[in-house]
Amino acid sequence: MEFFLHILISGIATGAIYSLIAVGYSITFSTMQILNFALGMWVMIGGMLTLTFNVMFGLDLAVTLLALIVVMILLGIVGERVSVHPFFRAGSDVWVMSTLAVGFLFINVAELIWGRNPEPVPPFFGDGIIAVGAFAIFPQQLLVIVSALVIFLALHLFYYRTLLGKAFRATAHSSEVTSLMGINTRLICVLSYVITSVLAGVAGFIIVPITFAEAQMGTVLGLKAFAIAIIAGLGAPRGILVCGIAYGALEGLASGYFYTGIRDILGFSLMILVLFLRPEGLFGTPSSERA
Amino acid sequence: MIPPAAVRAAWPLLLLLLAAMPLVTPGSYFQFMLILVFIHAVVAIGLNILTGYSGLFSLGHAALMAMGAYTSALVSKGLAAVPVLAATGFHVWIGMIAGTVAAAAFGAVLAAPSLRLKGPYLAMVTVAFGWVVWKILLEWVEVTGGELGITAIPKANIGPLVLTTSYFYYFALAAVVLAMVFQRNLIRSAYGRRLLAVRHSEIAAASVGINVYGVKVKVFVISAALAGVGGALFAHQQNFVNPDNFQFFSSVFFLLAVLFGGAGTLIGPVIGAAVLTLLPELLHGFDRIRLIVYGVFILATLYFQPNGVAGFLRLKVTTLPGLRREETPAPAAAIEGLRLDRSAAPETDALLEVRSLTKTFGGLTALKDVSLKLAPGRVHAVIGPNGAGKTTLINLLSGFYRPDAGEIRIEGRPADIRSMHGAAGLGIARTFQTIKLFGDLTVIENVMVAFERHAAPRLWDSVGRTARGQREEGRRMREAEALIAFVGLGDYGMTPASALSYGHRRLLEIARALAVRPRILLLDEPAAGLVAEEIDALRRLIRSLCEAGIAIILVEHRMELVTAISDEVTVIDYGEIIAHGEPGAIQRDRRVIEAYLGSANGNAQD
Repeated sequence: MEFFLHILISGIATGAIYSLIAVGYSITFSTMQILNFALGMWVMIGGMLTLTFNVMFGLDLAVTLLALIVVMILLGIVGERVSVHPFFRAGSDVWVMSTLAVGFLFINVAELIWGRNPEPVPPFFGDGIIAVGAFAIFPQQLLVIVSALVIFLALHLFYYRTLLGKAFRATAHSSEVTSLMGINTRLICVLSYVITSVLAGVAGFIIVPITFAEAQMGTVLGLKAFAIAIIAGLGAPRGILVCGIAYGALEGLASGYFYTGIRDILGFSLMILVLFLRPEGLFGTPSSERA
Repeated sequence: MIPPAAVRAAWPLLLLLLAAMPLVTPGSYFQFMLILVFIHAVVAIGLNILTGYSGLFSLGHAALMAMGAYTSALVSKGLAAVPVLAATGFHVWIGMIAGTVAAAAFGAVLAAPSLRLKGPYLAMVTVAFGWVVWKILLEWVEVTGGELGITAIPKANIGPLVLTTSYFYYFALAAVVLAMVFQRNLIRSAYGRRLLAVRHSEIAAASVGINVYGVKVKVFVISAALAGVGGALFAHQQNFVNPDNFQFFSSVFFLLAVLFGGAGTLIGPVIGAAVLTLLPELLHGFDRIRLIVYGVFILATLYFQPNGVAGFLRLKVTTLPGLRREETPAPAAAIEGLRLDRSAAPETDALLEVRSLTKTFGGLTALKDVSLKLAPGRVHAVIGPNGAGKTTLINLLSGFYRPDAGEIRIEGRPADIRSMHGAAGLGIARTFQTIKLFGDLTVIENVMVAFERHAAPRLWDSVGRTARGQREEGRRMREAEALIAFVGLGDYGMTPASALSYGHRRLLEIARALAVRPRILLLDEPAAGLVAEEIDALRRLIRSLCEAGIAIILVEHRMELVTAISDEVTVIDYGEIIAHGEPGAIQRDRRVIEAYLGSANGNAQD
């Protein structure tokens, strides 16, 4: 029972991170029909910046987070300008390559700056265990789960309670009409890209004590998050939260009780299966286009 | 621009040079590197057919290559135990075929689900696939040998002749040449025309009867098979394979080779493969900055030269290789070709019957309970204010949407229209309100692509340039020439569609729809944007189509055209039929006048 709970909780924590990255794909995909193909590499940058600011410079956690967010905003603006805007034409898939190219630059630059060896980052609130009966959780895991929930709640409030959020949803519905209504859709596009990179950076921040900081730390995270976005449906943020956590739990249990090798194959097989049976995702609605 | 004659002359020279290579420097490192270039070029050519000509991304070609390499290695090692096979060399050839088939099969498994939706699904699924394959190669030690991979893979032999590096060089060179011929024949054919059409406009391609999804899955399988060939070659050249050979970055390598060399050009992938394979040899410490170089290369290519190196050469893409020109029938013959065989069809007054058709989008009812009938050789105009649901009706009849309720019957039988290409297959062709031509293709190619229903291209006829394929291609060309002459575009056959004037584009769309040999033709505002003389010509054109027995649904705002040629008129407003009758009566109908000019409470909804 204790083992079961332990791997379940750690699975849920991993799943929360997957959701956080996956919702990033969803944000830009719904506003611009593009997504950052190298989002995992942006997560890695978040982790590396945490290593630099917190461990190397010895900055306070809050300051680290703030500095990290500033850097991610700047990178987001530059990234959008370099790899999305020039190639933003209806029906063109060139952004697949250009966003990936930026990811390559990130990995290689990270290797040159921080080296190729994994560097540990200490857990933010120590490594004691919070235990209530059979229920035991590391503080970092708790932090991961709580932050993910808070961020999702904030996103929800943003989308449904603020005017800007409504503009986002309008752009997602029809960029052309929204633009005619006097909303700066260009700004919305940049903003959605920036929000996505900040989310990725924050995901890197909270997970780096669990994964260690290394140039490849985000690659697989990004891939799995994409699988989850597909399984839930790229246009269904709430579904992504549910699927991410369920997936993390499932993955944890599968590797705990069976064989760790099965873990990664599981997710991608599920993705292929969902694409086959319900291409719009478990929580998505089929879209209709116009001739 | 390099004159085509120079290009043709350069080929034999280059081949001769490459063939002489091993004689000059036998067994050298450079020779080994060239073999690697050849192998990479085979994979890149396959990827170019997919990415360059069909517009689909794959970031998993290294994994497909791994399928070819590992399958071929395992099968040939297993078969080496059979003396007959080992002595003749068949163990390796069978292995290579098995590898190719395995890669193609995995290609199908990947493509079939991920191409169901538009968007980045295929690209990401291939990334995931590449990663899973790499993982399995590492973990499934009993079969794949894990990290160490498979060693002592048999060299290829032909009887007693073992293909050591010098001989294998020629084998690999032959493989590239074959792959290039394959690519050229595939692209410069009816099959390639179909790929270009799908890349340019999926909707327009579907409207002329092309099964877009099927075409995409097939081209992915073709591309995967070539990756498998490359993998098999690689295995028997190196004599060992391990997972490191087939990492994600190898997939990126191939995509970059295609982009950099020139996506959608015949020679591009070969140039790209050569440069990218040889470049690291020239750059000291390349490994340290490999991803930066890749990243910068990708971005720079996309910014400055989207057509890659081969783009500088400006080699023209055409799907029309020198066909023998035969007598082109006169335009009048085109209409004879379209004339419906009245004896075969049952005599009916309702070729098309629509019963209570309803379509809703979310809460909005775009079309409600619409019924109409259409007899052969008649024009049934559908008019109404903007947003009334006219185009929705055409979209339903042409299979773009599926109705929520109601029934479409053709010749008295219920027609199950599941897709646009399905509708075309039933003899329903359409034009579009916003013109959708294949802009890269010439006028005649635009029409030739639309013979799917009567002369769908077959892969082997295209690649093998068979007599039958050439014959059919000649027939397509003659019929297309007659059709474009018939609509009045006879002088523009070799003009790119994108260079036509607006009115001519409308005519070309009609010619293309006629190539489907429709029983029912749906015209969505064909006169929009035309000047008076052009409308006059259009009227005569529609008249002669009626005389050939084609039934026409005409959605149109230009009332002078509607009254001049319609046999009956249905008026819809807010998705419902508000009037139906002869043109003269409709013009006097009070409700129609209200719908158009607005009444006390109504503006035309848009």
